[in-house]
Amino acid sequence: MKNGLLIFLGLFVLAALSWAVVLLAPHRQYGALAPAVDPLDGLQHPYGTSGLANQGRLVYQDLGCVTCHTQQVRHGSADLDRRWGTRPSYARDYVKDGRVFLGSSRLGPDLRNVGARLGDTATPAEYAEWFHKLLYAPGSVGAHKPAHAFLYEVRPIRPGQASAKALHLSGSAAPAAGHEVVPTHRAEALVAYLASLKDTYEYPVEAQVNAPAGKKEGGH
Amino acid sequence: MSSPAHSPEPVERAKNRAEQEQIDATAKWPVLAFLGSGLFWLFVGGVMQLAASIQTHSPGFLAACEWFTHGRLAPAAQNALVYGWGFNAAFAVGLWLMARLSAAALRHGGWLLVAGKFWNVGVLLGVGGILGGWSASYELLEFPRFVVLLLLASYALIGVWMVTTFSVRNTENVYASQWYLFAAAFFFPWLYSIAQVMLFKAPVAGTLQAIVNAWYVDGIYALWFIPLGLAVAYYFLPKLLGRPINLYYTAALGFWWLIAVGVLLSGIRLINAPVPVWVPTLGIAASLLLVLPLIVIGLNLLGTLGRDFGKALASPTLSFVSLSVLSFLLWGGLTIVTSMRGVAAGFQFTLGPSGLDWLALYGCFSLAAFGAANFIVPRLTGREWASPALLKAQFWAAALGLGLFTVASLVGGFGQGALLNNPAITSGELSAALAPWLAARSVALMLLLVSHLAFLLNLVWAVCPINSGKARAAAFAPPPDLKPAAEARS
Amino acid sequence: MSTPPDNFRLEQAAASDDSIQQVHDRLRSTKPDREHGYSKTPLILLGVMCTLVFFGSIYVAHYSIRFDPLVVNEHANREKPDDGTKKTFTRAELGKPVFIKNCMLCHQANGQGQPNIYPPLAGSEWVAGTEERIVRIILHGLNGPITVAGRDFNNVMAPLGTVLNDEQIANVISYIRSDWGNSGPEVEPSTVARVRAEAAAQKGPYTAEELLKIGN
Repeated sequence: MKNGLLIFLGLFVLAALSWAVVLLAPHRQYGALAPAVDPLDGLQHPYGTSGLANQGRLVYQDLGCVTCHTQQVRHGSADLDRRWGTRPSYARDYVKDGRVFLGSSRLGPDLRNVGARLGDTATPAEYAEWFHKLLYAPGSVGAHKPAHAFLYEVRPIRPGQASAKALHLSGSAAPAAGHEVVPTHRAEALVAYLASLKDTYEYPVEAQVNAPAGKKEGGH
Repeated sequence: MSSPAHSPEPVERAKNRAEQEQIDATAKWPVLAFLGSGLFWLFVGGVMQLAASIQTHSPGFLAACEWFTHGRLAPAAQNALVYGWGFNAAFAVGLWLMARLSAAALRHGGWLLVAGKFWNVGVLLGVGGILGGWSASYELLEFPRFVVLLLLASYALIGVWMVTTFSVRNTENVYASQWYLFAAAFFFPWLYSIAQVMLFKAPVAGTLQAIVNAWYVDGIYALWFIPLGLAVAYYFLPKLLGRPINLYYTAALGFWWLIAVGVLLSGIRLINAPVPVWVPTLGIAASLLLVLPLIVIGLNLLGTLGRDFGKALASPTLSFVSLSVLSFLLWGGLTIVTSMRGVAAGFQFTLGPSGLDWLALYGCFSLAAFGAANFIVPRLTGREWASPALLKAQFWAAALGLGLFTVASLVGGFGQGALLNNPAITSGELSAALAPWLAARSVALMLLLVSHLAFLLNLVWAVCPINSGKARAAAFAPPPDLKPAAEARS
Repeated sequence: MSTPPDNFRLEQAAASDDSIQQVHDRLRSTKPDREHGYSKTPLILLGVMCTLVFFGSIYVAHYSIRFDPLVVNEHANREKPDDGTKKTFTRAELGKPVFIKNCMLCHQANGQGQPNIYPPLAGSEWVAGTEERIVRIILHGLNGPITVAGRDFNNVMAPLGTVLNDEQIANVISYIRSDWGNSGPEVEPSTVARVRAEAAAQKGPYTAEELLKIGN
């Protein structure tokens, strides 16, 4: 190729092709995907989070949790057997998410449904307690992850004013006598965000178009 | 070594040599400055990368300080290595190579120094921003927004230099290395600006963000770093072996096919993701098509090297360049294999993909850059390398480190994938099983730091005339002409 | 030079840049000379290209599932399913959430109401009877004594005409006519609209007396 202009044009065409096929086409297809409205109760799914959970999303972002945790439940995989979700994640689950943290590494477990991980019977307070322990002293709940103790304040208990938000720790994780571990606002926000992570609604359209092909489909 | 069967008159050859010296003289300070700043980031990023790797198997390491929590340290390290080391080294080697192949001097190099300074300021602010908690949390796009224009503006200056040097070229022909340099220089600003617009300026919603992010990351590896590594290989193999590229008439095919595949490859990072299924399917089909450029470029480059591995090992440049070519082929082969859905199910989300990315960034590009630097620096400084022992140490430590890192990532990665897909294995058991491989990766990174230290020492002796006894003045013989294939084989 | 330069300290180039470019330019279009006439490599490469493109295209055709953006499963059915998701719900099914949200608090989930306080809906002749009455009750509320299924009640029911639209009222009546052993025809929104228009003049809640004068 003698001509620099030809090389430039060829590269430009390929770049344009790449943008059009890989970015523009999906954007045209589902860039405006809206939440599904349930015909019976009229509620939007996903509804989106607000307030403290949204602030927690920002904490999740700045602490870089996406480095070790994914937020996508794969279809037809061990993810469902591990009860990391009751159904695969669909694109619609993320339309209200602001910044999407799909993630690409699972040094730690998937977090898409971590707000439902303890089951239906656990109360929000139990979820919060579990999340706080995971963040402050993960070793105490058997998790092999870095502690984020800087999100908590260890302070002396003021006489007669023990904080209701203090964590209940025991063993080596417990603070010195007369001290309590209190979550900072960022820890509470992050916990609120984690508790909001659950995709339970069964989208009728997605469930139908993703149903596996019947056995009569020949081969492959 | 030179048989003057077809060489021009000695006067002509001397004139060529003089011209090259003139080009090298104009390139000296920009290239050395970029190389120096690249090395700074190689160490800073390398140390951070080592610390982050230690944190994966010893989570308590540096966990007390918010600035060094793993979620910030690991992306900071990756960005420092990519934008700090990778881009600076790319500028250094790319500018020199383009100047040589265009037989055009790098004029007004002062502007390049200014641009380089701004680039480094941008990277510094970016890395600091990630550590301080302003990370944007998209892979390789974590730099806070105030850094973006700085990087783009610096790149514009440097890219303009590369293009103008090319356009004022005194050569009629455009050689393969120049195609690859052109491609890399062309793609980065498009990748970066489109990603910035679609993720930050006019953000797309939902999992489209993941599609854009994957497109950008794939572009950085497949369309920036890999072409730069190949540009170096295409130049130095004939340059140092004295024979032309094997089957050169296929090189254009290999180039265009590789670029065409690279622009469509990003879907393989999104297999099983909540995106339209045709996106990963397209990526997998593109990775299948990667077989052809691998064959062609393999024939071109390994075919030129032939069986001269011994000769390659005896050369500080060729040793690195050959290993870079092998890394490229390994990267390509592994990319194809691990993009098959069945394999991907046990490979994605593990250590494996990061090992592949490192193979592209370090194996293909950085090794080529080291090889090129080993050739270029004496010509810029006029001094020989002070210590052959350090050069050998640099090579073997890098080779061992890269090999260990790749093996640990692949074996550990597939093991991790199998355990992830086994619902009976708990997260705790998974971490325990993974620990030795993570530790092996940390050891590998330490070996790489040793290699870089060896290079730094040699570089300091070559550049700073403090210990002038160590590095002798270099005497360059005018190189003979390349023999076309038929005679070269006789 | 007293000693030959150590290759490792300083590598001499084996070819000049000029010659590299010139030689390769000539090689760009020439294939290496072969004794037997033609070189196999281009043919092999062509074969490889075609094979790869062929299989790649088949892969894309097979696993893109109509390029449907909502599909994440590559093994999903490639044929477009009939739009069974537009499941038509009966008015009774659509009415149940309305009941739960607006009526259940007083009339209870089992439709029994509370003895002496809120009348039951199960077995209520007001529910089973003419739409003229039940729609008016929902629109404007009810006040004062009323006999339902043989028992007397005297309470206030808040008007829901501004809270529920015609469709919702039609649905909720259809629902309460279908559950707890009740049976009765579905109500259409048009009926509700007509009654709403006819009763537009009503100010304040109805009483049972007034309602008994309307309809049969």
